[in-house]
Amino acid sequence: MSAPLVSPPFLRVGAEAAPILTFEKVSKRYGNLLALSEVSFQINRGEVVCLIGPSGSGKSTLLRCANALEMLDGGRVTFEGADVHGAGDARRVRQRMGMVFQNFELFPHLTVLRNITIGPTTVLRLDTAAADARARALLHKVGLSDKVGQHPAALSGGQQQRVAIARALAMEPALMLFDEPTSALDPETIGEVLSVMKALADEGMTMVVVTHEMDFAKRVADWIVVFDQGRVIEQGPPKQIFEAPTVPRTREFLSHLGWHGESIAEISAGE
Amino acid sequence: MTFHWHVVWDNLDRFATGAVLTVELTVLTMALSIPGGLLLAFLRLSPFGPVRVATTAFVELFRSTPLILQIYWVYYVLPTFTEIQFPAFETAIIGLVCNVSSYNSETFRAGIVSIRTGQWNAGLAVGMTKAQVMGRIVLPQAAMRVLPALATTWVSLFKDTSLVSVINVEELSYQSLKIRTETFTILEVLTAMATIYWLMGYPQAKLVDWVHRRYKAAE
Repeated sequence: MSAPLVSPPFLRVGAEAAPILTFEKVSKRYGNLLALSEVSFQINRGEVVCLIGPSGSGKSTLLRCANALEMLDGGRVTFEGADVHGAGDARRVRQRMGMVFQNFELFPHLTVLRNITIGPTTVLRLDTAAADARARALLHKVGLSDKVGQHPAALSGGQQQRVAIARALAMEPALMLFDEPTSALDPETIGEVLSVMKALADEGMTMVVVTHEMDFAKRVADWIVVFDQGRVIEQGPPKQIFEAPTVPRTREFLSHLGWHGESIAEISAGE
Repeated sequence: MTFHWHVVWDNLDRFATGAVLTVELTVLTMALSIPGGLLLAFLRLSPFGPVRVATTAFVELFRSTPLILQIYWVYYVLPTFTEIQFPAFETAIIGLVCNVSSYNSETFRAGIVSIRTGQWNAGLAVGMTKAQVMGRIVLPQAAMRVLPALATTWVSLFKDTSLVSVINVEELSYQSLKIRTETFTILEVLTAMATIYWLMGYPQAKLVDWVHRRYKAAE
């Protein structure tokens, strides 16, 4: 069953914009609760796609469907041409798809270095020296070279999340999933995580980011998908979503966050 | 009233032999009951219903009946089915291991399920197999959490080994009660027996207290 469930126009076709990850009519229920209802959108290679919407609207659930941490009740998720929920593909998909969690989920019994090398050594069968070198380079990149031998408990939330990003990058993924990466952080450490993510986006990493950080979404995203009650209510480029949302519910959600349709230029100028 | 404390000194070697066997029973039982308990815990977390039911039945049987009955049963009843009569020591080990493994399985199971789903997801998300997540992420963390409970079980086991004296395993209780019967010195022998158990058990209890303090809030 490889025939597309949904045909364009939901697929955004561009010259170099090959879809790397597509959601087609994805549905998921927990008992009587319909967590996701026929969600369809796509992520093109090199894009940053931000998922926004009220808490409990299904954004995080969708992210867990992307790497088969959740099974589907309907629809299909395709990553690099393969059905994510197809037999035996989950582990291959996960190796190519990094994930960063709201609560970091570092392994508390391992040092920072071992947190990062455990994936490459156990899954990619990299030898310890090569994995260590890769981990040290990534720690340098996220600005935590001095924390190599520490345990996660000795780090601040922002530092833990940066280690978690390095852990995901150590698998050299084709795409990164971020599940509310700054929601559990103290305000003063949010910036350091967002700037690491921004740098990653600037390098061309394909990213799917569930976030409530509207400034980040507006500045970094190529495409915004708005969720409400398990459905995609609107999607489009940031300019459309933030300046001229076509759906009243989008406007309502943004105004709850103190966003009242200021133009992106205005906000950028006001910094 | 005259005391015959010399009976204790005269039989010190027999007390010592018994004490050594008590330690051997404790150490060997625990050494086998840790893998045994782990196996039972995995079986109880199995996705296959009949496996879970059978394991639960086994565990609950050994947790809900007296240990002394289990020891008698293994020694006297089991051979009538299997036509294999193990020597007393082996029988004692079988009975104790079944019992302690059952308790350990509950401890391990609780430890495993106490590790939050996020840790599983984090391991799976880098592409690890479930077995790798269990072995490298969940079990090492669970081990720290179950250490206090295991230590408590250890001290109970140390004292419970006295029950295998009923099938003539010549550990400390058996030796003491035999000396008592031979010499008719109840007070002296039982006091000596209590003292030896206490001298061996108290440091263990203190060690357990330390383990509880050290690993209580380990996250």
